[in-house]
Amino acid sequence: MFKALYMFFAAAVLLAYASAAWFGWEIANSGSRSRLGIPFIYTGFRGGK
Amino acid sequence: MSVLASNCPSCGGPVEFKSGSTIVLVCQYCRSALARTDRGITDLGKVAEIAESESPLRLGLSGTYLGQRFELTGRARLQHQLGGYWDEWYATFSNGWVGWLAEAQGRFYMTFFKPLPEGSVLPSFGEIAPGQILENLSAGVPLVVQEKGIATAVAADGEIPYRLVPNEQSPYADLAGKDGVFATIDYGASPPWMFLGKQVTLADIGMADARPAEREARRIEAAALSCPNCGGPLELIAPDKAERVTCPNCDSLLDINQGNLIYFKALTPLPNPPGFVLSVASEGTIEGVKFKICGAMVRSVKIDGETYYWHEYLLYNPSIGYRWLIHSDNHWSFAEPVNPADVTDGGFYGSGATVLYGGRKYKIFQDAVAKVRYVTGEFYWRVEQGERVRAVDFISPPEMLSMEQTSDEINWSIGRYIPVKEIEKAFGVTDLPKPWGIAPNQPFTGSFYYTWGALPLLLLIVLAIFMLPFTGITNTVLSQDIVLPPMASQSQPQTAFSQPFDLKANRNVQITASAPVSNSWADLDIDLINEQSQEIESVNIPIEYYYGSDSDGQWTEGSRSSDAPLSALPGGKYTLRVEGTWQDWQKPMPVSVKVVQNVNRGVNFLCAFLALAIVPFFGLIRKFSFESARWKDSMFSTAATSDSDD
Repeated sequence: MFKALYMFFAAAVLLAYASAAWFGWEIANSGSRSRLGIPFIYTGFRGGK
Repeated sequence: MSVLASNCPSCGGPVEFKSGSTIVLVCQYCRSALARTDRGITDLGKVAEIAESESPLRLGLSGTYLGQRFELTGRARLQHQLGGYWDEWYATFSNGWVGWLAEAQGRFYMTFFKPLPEGSVLPSFGEIAPGQILENLSAGVPLVVQEKGIATAVAADGEIPYRLVPNEQSPYADLAGKDGVFATIDYGASPPWMFLGKQVTLADIGMADARPAEREARRIEAAALSCPNCGGPLELIAPDKAERVTCPNCDSLLDINQGNLIYFKALTPLPNPPGFVLSVASEGTIEGVKFKICGAMVRSVKIDGETYYWHEYLLYNPSIGYRWLIHSDNHWSFAEPVNPADVTDGGFYGSGATVLYGGRKYKIFQDAVAKVRYVTGEFYWRVEQGERVRAVDFISPPEMLSMEQTSDEINWSIGRYIPVKEIEKAFGVTDLPKPWGIAPNQPFTGSFYYTWGALPLLLLIVLAIFMLPFTGITNTVLSQDIVLPPMASQSQPQTAFSQPFDLKANRNVQITASAPVSNSWADLDIDLINEQSQEIESVNIPIEYYYGSDSDGQWTEGSRSSDAPLSALPGGKYTLRVEGTWQDWQKPMPVSVKVVQNVNRGVNFLCAFLALAIVPFFGLIRKFSFESARWKDSMFSTAATSDSDD
């Protein structure tokens, strides 16, 4: 059971990585004042001013 | 010699030597062993009648070996010096061959007399030793001495091709070679005779149908006995093979001699109850074969002053003979004998020693003297409390290869680890005690997490390489110098705009700003403005650079350049709005800005790598801990490595 869960998790990580590479998503940058209406992972977070 | 018909000199009954090679014939009327000589027939003395047996063989049975038909025309029962019996059947072949079909513990060996190769000299009986390797006796096959002993002819039937004298003793040595090659050296003759052949199955010799179908009724009848010490009832499971049995009523150890029980001695009780979790006579199916437990024993070894105990159950199946079930620390292993010649060892049993068997390498785990502490049930040898053997264990989980050696015998067996649940299922019991610790041959069951479980890591690397064109071929879309005029006051930022530039969709963005600050700071808020939608993405880029010198020498802190990465934005035309404040606000601030796309930062890869590495990493930690626990109980723990696996 845990093996199946782990493989599911691994597949999700690989999918997320491939998606991020394809769509140009970055994890760590700013965007707290973003007005583009895009999700956090898209805009990222770099820290406050 | 020709066929000879005559009368028994003892009883006068008619006798006929049917085969030309027959030397001795057992008179079917008076059990006299009659030898034919040049001068007629000589009476060698009475031989005992062979007791009821579970053997599938019988006199008159026909078979085929190497394309030649044969008939079983005689049978001799021989007794080992330690009490065990085996039968040797005389096979008369239609082409004149004379073969011996030996039957012991459910195994069969077909051998033929073989003159020694030219120039070969056999070691004497005193010189030959178990484990010794004899070359050149069998074309290209080294033979390992498995056992030496003294056989006594105790019973016979039919026609025998040698001068069998009742109760005569003859020294012998049994040897084994690879691929079932088997040989016996008979030191009763001078010079010694060698018989060479192979271990065979009944199917190999055309006797696959020779099943002991009628034996059940005989067995039950033969098994109903009374203890000679207390008179209590006693039932034997393998009456024709058992040599010693314990009485469950009075705890006596009894010898079995041709079906009769003889009191041997009282069992010495253990300080604590033996604690057998399976009972004698219970039945279980292991690896598809139904066995009955016919005996159980407590054994122990003493290592570094500490005594370790375990239980062994003797299993019996009439077709395949005896096997062992070993119960130690509530772990279970099923053991069966192996041909010593199939085990390749260097004769060195010290730290780091390995042996090869069946293409696998086994590492030495223990080398100690094992002692029998207590027995119950019946055994095919004359077991005794205090009996000692040198026991050397080699492991390659889930298997354990064990050698047991005495001065006269060497035996190898292979034990396979069996989970408790399978033993419960096999014997139809529940609630067997749970194992503790790690068994020497217990397989590690978590290897998935660092073998197949590491596959996603490999896939990630492949994916990263495949995705490189999408993430790593950097493209500069703007590089411009902008001068911010002096600020009106310390709190009123100045603003400037860049020239328009194009951003492509689905590619990350990195904005780099540089300012010639010197022991001062500048703080830049940079907005990326989409000219079409007027939507804004903001980043803050603080720049500060300080330097000086102290007692340690020159120092610097910060940088005149800083950057901010962004996720991809919708494609289109953009302008940068740079809004800045800086320390020397009365002076203008020249700022260089650069916008690049497809920056290969590696953060995503690193995060994915860490996420996927956690489970394999802990899998390896578990494996290391498991192997450490396994080898801490070994007297050769320095030989431990972690490459054993399930």
